[in-house]
Amino acid sequence: MEREPAAADEPRPPGRRRRRRRRRRRREGRTRTVRSNLLPFPGAEDPTASAAKGARRLRRCGGTQHLADNRLKTTKYTLLSFLPKNLFEQFHRLANVYFVFIALLNFVPAVNAFQPGLALAPVLFILAVTAFKDLWEDYSRHRSDHEINHLGCLVFSREEKQYVNRFWKEIRVGDFVRLRCNEIIPADILLLSSSDPDGLCHIETANLDGETNLKRRQVVRGFSELVSEFNPLTFTSVIECEKPNDDLTRFRGCIIHDNGKKAGLYKENLLLRGCTIRNTEAVVGIVIYAGHETKALLNNSGPRYKRSQLERQMNCDVLWCVLLLVCMSLFSAVGHGLWVQRYQEKKSLFDVPESDGTSLSPVTAAVYSFLTMIIVLQVLIPISLYVSIEIVKVCQVYFINQDTELYDEETDSQLQCRALNITEDLGQIQYIFSDKTGTLTENKMVFRRCTVSGIEYSHDANAQRLARYQEADSEEEEVVPRGGSLPQRGSTGSHQGIRVLHRSQSTRSHRRTGSRAEAKRASMLSRHTAFSSPMEKDITPDPKLLEKVSECDRCLAFARHQEHPLAHLSPELSDIFDFFIALTICNTVVVTSPDQPRQKVRVRFELKSPVKTIEDFLRRFTPSRLTSGCSSIAGVATSKSAHKSGPSLLSTLANDGALLRLEERLDPQAPGLTSNGYSSGADGWAQHKAAREPEPEQELRYEAESPDEAALVYAARAYSCALVDRLHDQVSVELPHLGRLTFELLHTLGFDSIRKRMSVVIRHPLTDEINVYTKGADSMVMDLLLPCSTDDARGRHQMKIRSKTQNYLNLYAVEGLRTLCIAKRVLSKEEYACWLQSHLEAESALDNREELLFQSAIRLETNLHLLGATGIEDRLQDGVPETIAKLRQAGLQIWVLTGDKQETAINIAYACKLLDHDEEVITLNAESQEACAALLDQCLHYVQSRSPRSAPEKTASSMRVSFSPVCPPSATTTSSPSPSLVIDGRSLAYALEKNLEDKFLFLAKQCRSVLCCRSTPLQKSMVVKLVRSKLKAMTLAIGDGANDVSMIQVADVGVGISGQEGMQAVMASDFAVPRFRYLERLLIVHGHWCYSRLANMVLYFFYKNTMFVGLLFWFQFYCGFSASAMIDQWYLIFFNLLFSSLPQLVTGVLDKDVPADVLLTEPQLYKSGQNREEYGPRTFWLNMADAAFQSLVCFFIPYLAYYDSDADMFTWGTPITAIALFTFLLHLGIETKTWTWLNWTACGFSILLFFTVALIYNASCATCYPPSNPYWTMQTLMGDPVFYLTCLIAPVAALLPRLFFKALQGSLFPTQLQLGRQLAKRSPKKLRAPKETSAQERLPGEPRTEPSEQGSLGPSGSFSQDRSSQVAWPAQQPACSPEASGEPSVVDVSVPLREDTLLEGLSSQTPGLSSPGEVILECPGDSKMKPTSASRAAPLSSIFSLSSFSSLNWISSLSLVSGLGSVLQFSRSGLQMDKQDSEFLPSPLPPDQNLQATDYF
Amino acid sequence: MKRKFQNSQSRLPDNTAVKQQQLPAYRLQLSAKEILSGFFATGVFCLGIGIILLLSAKSIKEIEINYTEKCANCAKLRENAANFDRECTCSIPFYLSEAMRGNVYMYYKLYGFYQNLYRYILSRSNSQLVGTDIKDVTNCSPFKNSPDGTPIAPCGAIANSIFNDTIVLSYNLNLSIHIKVPMLRSGITWWTDKYIKFQNPGSHNLSSAFAGTTKPLYWPKPAYELDEEDPGNNGFINDDFIVWMRTAAFPTFKKLYRRLHRIQHFTEGLPAGSYSFLFLDFPVSRFQGEKSVVLSTLTWSGGSSLFLGLAYVVTGAVTWLAFFSMMAIHLRLKERKVFFLQ
Repeated sequence: MEREPAAADEPRPPGRRRRRRRRRRRREGRTRTVRSNLLPFPGAEDPTASAAKGARRLRRCGGTQHLADNRLKTTKYTLLSFLPKNLFEQFHRLANVYFVFIALLNFVPAVNAFQPGLALAPVLFILAVTAFKDLWEDYSRHRSDHEINHLGCLVFSREEKQYVNRFWKEIRVGDFVRLRCNEIIPADILLLSSSDPDGLCHIETANLDGETNLKRRQVVRGFSELVSEFNPLTFTSVIECEKPNDDLTRFRGCIIHDNGKKAGLYKENLLLRGCTIRNTEAVVGIVIYAGHETKALLNNSGPRYKRSQLERQMNCDVLWCVLLLVCMSLFSAVGHGLWVQRYQEKKSLFDVPESDGTSLSPVTAAVYSFLTMIIVLQVLIPISLYVSIEIVKVCQVYFINQDTELYDEETDSQLQCRALNITEDLGQIQYIFSDKTGTLTENKMVFRRCTVSGIEYSHDANAQRLARYQEADSEEEEVVPRGGSLPQRGSTGSHQGIRVLHRSQSTRSHRRTGSRAEAKRASMLSRHTAFSSPMEKDITPDPKLLEKVSECDRCLAFARHQEHPLAHLSPELSDIFDFFIALTICNTVVVTSPDQPRQKVRVRFELKSPVKTIEDFLRRFTPSRLTSGCSSIAGVATSKSAHKSGPSLLSTLANDGALLRLEERLDPQAPGLTSNGYSSGADGWAQHKAAREPEPEQELRYEAESPDEAALVYAARAYSCALVDRLHDQVSVELPHLGRLTFELLHTLGFDSIRKRMSVVIRHPLTDEINVYTKGADSMVMDLLLPCSTDDARGRHQMKIRSKTQNYLNLYAVEGLRTLCIAKRVLSKEEYACWLQSHLEAESALDNREELLFQSAIRLETNLHLLGATGIEDRLQDGVPETIAKLRQAGLQIWVLTGDKQETAINIAYACKLLDHDEEVITLNAESQEACAALLDQCLHYVQSRSPRSAPEKTASSMRVSFSPVCPPSATTTSSPSPSLVIDGRSLAYALEKNLEDKFLFLAKQCRSVLCCRSTPLQKSMVVKLVRSKLKAMTLAIGDGANDVSMIQVADVGVGISGQEGMQAVMASDFAVPRFRYLERLLIVHGHWCYSRLANMVLYFFYKNTMFVGLLFWFQFYCGFSASAMIDQWYLIFFNLLFSSLPQLVTGVLDKDVPADVLLTEPQLYKSGQNREEYGPRTFWLNMADAAFQSLVCFFIPYLAYYDSDADMFTWGTPITAIALFTFLLHLGIETKTWTWLNWTACGFSILLFFTVALIYNASCATCYPPSNPYWTMQTLMGDPVFYLTCLIAPVAALLPRLFFKALQGSLFPTQLQLGRQLAKRSPKKLRAPKETSAQERLPGEPRTEPSEQGSLGPSGSFSQDRSSQVAWPAQQPACSPEASGEPSVVDVSVPLREDTLLEGLSSQTPGLSSPGEVILECPGDSKMKPTSASRAAPLSSIFSLSSFSSLNWISSLSLVSGLGSVLQFSRSGLQMDKQDSEFLPSPLPPDQNLQATDYF
Repeated sequence: MKRKFQNSQSRLPDNTAVKQQQLPAYRLQLSAKEILSGFFATGVFCLGIGIILLLSAKSIKEIEINYTEKCANCAKLRENAANFDRECTCSIPFYLSEAMRGNVYMYYKLYGFYQNLYRYILSRSNSQLVGTDIKDVTNCSPFKNSPDGTPIAPCGAIANSIFNDTIVLSYNLNLSIHIKVPMLRSGITWWTDKYIKFQNPGSHNLSSAFAGTTKPLYWPKPAYELDEEDPGNNGFINDDFIVWMRTAAFPTFKKLYRRLHRIQHFTEGLPAGSYSFLFLDFPVSRFQGEKSVVLSTLTWSGGSSLFLGLAYVVTGAVTWLAFFSMMAIHLRLKERKVFFLQ
């Protein structure tokens, strides 16, 4: 998790710095020391208790603010500090300073233009509005603070010697807090005691990171063994720990007991503020960090501030305006100087000399005039622009939030805008960088198939079941209620229905999604609940494997009492047994019964099978004995069972009987537990049956940190190998014949992204061997296997198994499954003892602990014995292919950056239509820098040669850095579909080097989509940064996990998916969407709207101000450039602010240039935003020119109309103001595309307000407001027909050209947007009906096999596509899937032949491109077989074309003869087709079948 | 930290028209077809109004006589300060070929007199002019006080530079009989100016009210002696003074000077015949402009409907031109379908 410390620090209000605490907390160095508050106060030397109490009470009453208490104070201001502080903050904005400066200029007598007080008004108004907004925000913060501060919790009171209820804010560091189940933790608390007998406590950290699974926390070592209840009064230890920091994943410290003993403290001991206690009756802890020093609050960064591209451009244009202003003022000044010079000697009557009678020198007059002009023309820099934009953005954000179409029913969440000021960036995105897992896919893992000991179990029934689920889903989503749909789903379905109902009522009540009790939705809901939808839980076992499992179960049940029970099994069966045991226990899954605190009385390991003999005892506890023998660290032993067993043995033995009885009473559901720990075979079977029956009531819930763990556990359960209980030191597994087996869990070496594996060290209850089970990424695990000799048969067998497994793994990857390898290692006691010693050292190390543990884990995970591998499917999210297609159409280039394997990634890419089967795929796998460079060159050459039209100029510029700043990604997709690029992590690292990045970018730019596999988070962010900086493109990054955070932060717009992997991505993001598919509407509709609205509004602002200032400027030619204004200063100052602001705000918030449905059906309309059609330099200057023209018209028509009249200056200026207002409103009317009653009201209000204000103002005071003295001006004017006549003609004449040209352009050269508008107008009804299906009709190569699918609604589109591919999978293995033959897969089977011919055709025309040895075109059908081990060195990248067989797309694309389906392979090592490829290819078909298929076309 | 409240309701946003941005709306289409009718109507309207205005402009009779050159000798005379109070008259005869019917207004018109200079228009004291504080000259710089320190009333550059030519129009019935055309000097200001904005200091005797102040530098007489005929027209509420104080918008401007008193021969307006202007000139011609006198009648739309009429007609014509061109385009494009380029 990369987090900017500055960003975390920034929002914290200043002045909230840690205050020095008296004595109790010294801040020497980098640690803090915490002592119990209940100890006699060290400062109060007075021995009498009452005095200490007094001092304490005093502290509590009066002096609380000196201590960093738990009071939450997120407010920025106090009543006193509000004004100065707020003003200070506001003056950080340059514009405010500018406006204040201008206003203050009015106080200089020589240059003042307005009444000084009046000139300050607008800037004060703006400041006041902002201040009010800040105040309101601060007040709401204060309210929520107050509410949180006054939550109650139990704190131990010294006076009353018991826990008393106190407010949160009264908790201080060193207090003892007692928390009960489901309470929220008020501060960062060190866990000292738990009601859980093992000293455990479960917390839910959803408030902190959004993860809903339970996390385990542990009582500080040394306190868990206390027999009696923890008494705070006896706590005399001192805690030394880090100073407060924001790292949620780290906490280090130690506790020093009275006797000088030290014990380490880790993050497992710390309860973080904001989390919730679950499944634990009560806990007690001491407060370590309180209030703002808690990690939760240190992590709490407010909304981010980003500057949008539009705003950057606007600022640039504001600078142009400033320049214009200066030019105008300069021009005026020079003019005035000349004028003064001309009239100087004449001593004109109207000349106003200085007070001493002399005339001003021309230069001085010019300088004065310049300054005054700046004041008068300040309107050119719109003071209200910034405020208006902020208001509009806030409203836009509000409307985006309110959109029901962005509301996700399943998670009950809507889109969240976290950044308030980049909404318009959404309309200009050019590149989308997407994560794969969890973003494109559900990140809900479903067990699909597995291989054990080299034998594949394809789980066809399971595949069919999954297909059926999708069918059921789509049925559910059909609007027409079909009565028969539920029964059709069969017994499984209805069974799930019941269970789901049960689940959603009982277990989800505490979930953050809240209760959604509607029963009819429950089943739908369940599909998407974290980790445990029925789809994932109910796995249909493969019959063959099931048979083998039960066989070995039976065997073991017979052989259990013998010396080596496992030895009786054949190696295969033993592998199967171990495989399932590993699946079950090699994880961190927590078993919970719905919403109950954990079983309070549990079976202690020691009690399970009472120790009969001393040998038994010795045998059982050899590890600890060996530990103490091997070294002398038994005192600090970490293996808790080992540590505990010695001293507590006697007492536990004594309690034995009682506990057992208790257990039987409380735990009737586990009848398999007998005195010796497991039941005998026969009655075990019966009991198993008995136990199975009440299962619906007593369902176990698995809470896993990652969804694939849960999937594996559920899979194992389907094979009757059920995880029933997991404690920190033991795991219980229930088997049908063996009953409950309890494994002593010695160590859990958690998953990390470097090792890419996790391990558990257990002691096998049957063999008493110490086993290591490792589960991890195949690339890692396969390298760690025990090297086996090829000499003996055993070794050869092993080799064979491995190569077979590797083949299957590749196949799984091709199918887009996530693969995991399961391996095992048996440790001898000596090995274990030695490893344990070093491991314990590592664990107890204070420095470098993580690294030492990492080393220790690596030492353990070697010489593994391969058991098998699993393939887990990560399903595509709903609507992903459609969304991608739409986004593509919208001209967005989509790059997928994933950490997954290349094959998996490519497959998912095909599935979600990112790659198309009729387009070429360039794969870039390089082993070295040079190779990468050469490959890039070739690719570039190839890409250029295939698009000859664009080649000449491209070649000229390709190798240079010269990228055009704005390059519509669609530019290259003119002739043939451009290829897609697939690059792996290593090559990406080379390609991102300085000397290659330009080439890489150029190549990537030419490609339709780019797929980066195996990329690290850093690489992801580097790619985004590169595109952003080099291509000057707008980028959007979307992801859901912590590994996407850096990418999200780098991109212009970061989108987080509030999915299953916690909230880190969301926290870092600007927008959070519930699913990927909402991106479509967010970008194409809201992004476009926001951009178009804001662009138009900004343009309108510039237009308005320029036009208004133009009026004043033209007048200077008639007043000797003396900077006088014919418009009354009031109008001048308030015109922008009051009279003309509302209509444009309404338009800016509500205008829809093209309705949403048209935008969605015609996504290419989005390109207008990418190309900055609406607001670019060209439109800006056109707009300014139009403003100049309009101001000319609006000035000279009244000028000429009043030319030969006796009108005075302000009687003439007022009509001009009115004309300006009318012109603005009419102009806005032309620019506004949708006129709602709100627009009408706003315009009417504006006019009304102007006249009302003018009338009141002109009647208010006869002699006020010099120089205009406007008394009765408006009233007089309104009696004058010329006023009305001018007000009518001037706006019409001013806007005539604009309207005319717009109309001409609209009918002669309509833009896409205008066409879209016309489309909407033409058929508003017709459009709505085919809205859903039209999206699919537009997709090229969309499968159109069954007409019935065409009529189905949106989500079913994905279904049909998904299904078609799933249906096809079994067909690839006709040998081992008899069930699959029933599937209507006859169409697929004919494809290979076709492809062969096509490929041959292609290869015959390509030799020119492929340089020898580097580029090999491959035909999958006739590739050579090669041993796997050899090919594993080079990344397998050639076989993804296989998946093309599995999709019906192929056929449609073939039938269209749209392109040459080919796979171009660029690879350093000359990739060969692997053996298994042909193995899994469907065998060539009988000719009649082939014929049949061709007829089909 | 914001605590998450666990509401029982779903977070489904309200499905209202405003929140979903589904308000019924009129969509403006900017294409030839859509706004043809609009252009047509605008054209008709503008042409109609324009013609009416032009017709009414035809009925305006106006005569302007520039007397800058003709009375230059007087100006020259005045340039010598010694001839300060010597009277100089010049007479300009002219012939009115057509009678001016109705109300006839007499204006003086100045060319190139910048009454709209920024510093110029500021130089006045409203509180003085409204009579509340006769000695308030704070804003009148540099014409606040006379050299000896007494405040000037009325102070300021505007008042100081008042137009004070006297223009007398006489009707020459025949060669010998010159009838002085009766002119009203009242009713030439805004009512509010005369009765609200300008007030004399509250004293029965005007001269005593102005005690302690002095006349402006360029004035021949103090303010309370501006109108010898009508004592109610003196001081700050003098009509000519009020008219002058309403600063003109442009450097060339005319200001209402007198209006015809329709009695005797002139009940119908000014009959055709020969007239002459008599100018009594005071030394205030030190600007580079020209002076003229204008006799004019007004119509319902004021005096300047000619330009407005033209503007309307031209706009209407242009609109129609645009209308026809768009009609042509529309007819040619009628068959063309709307399609997306893509």
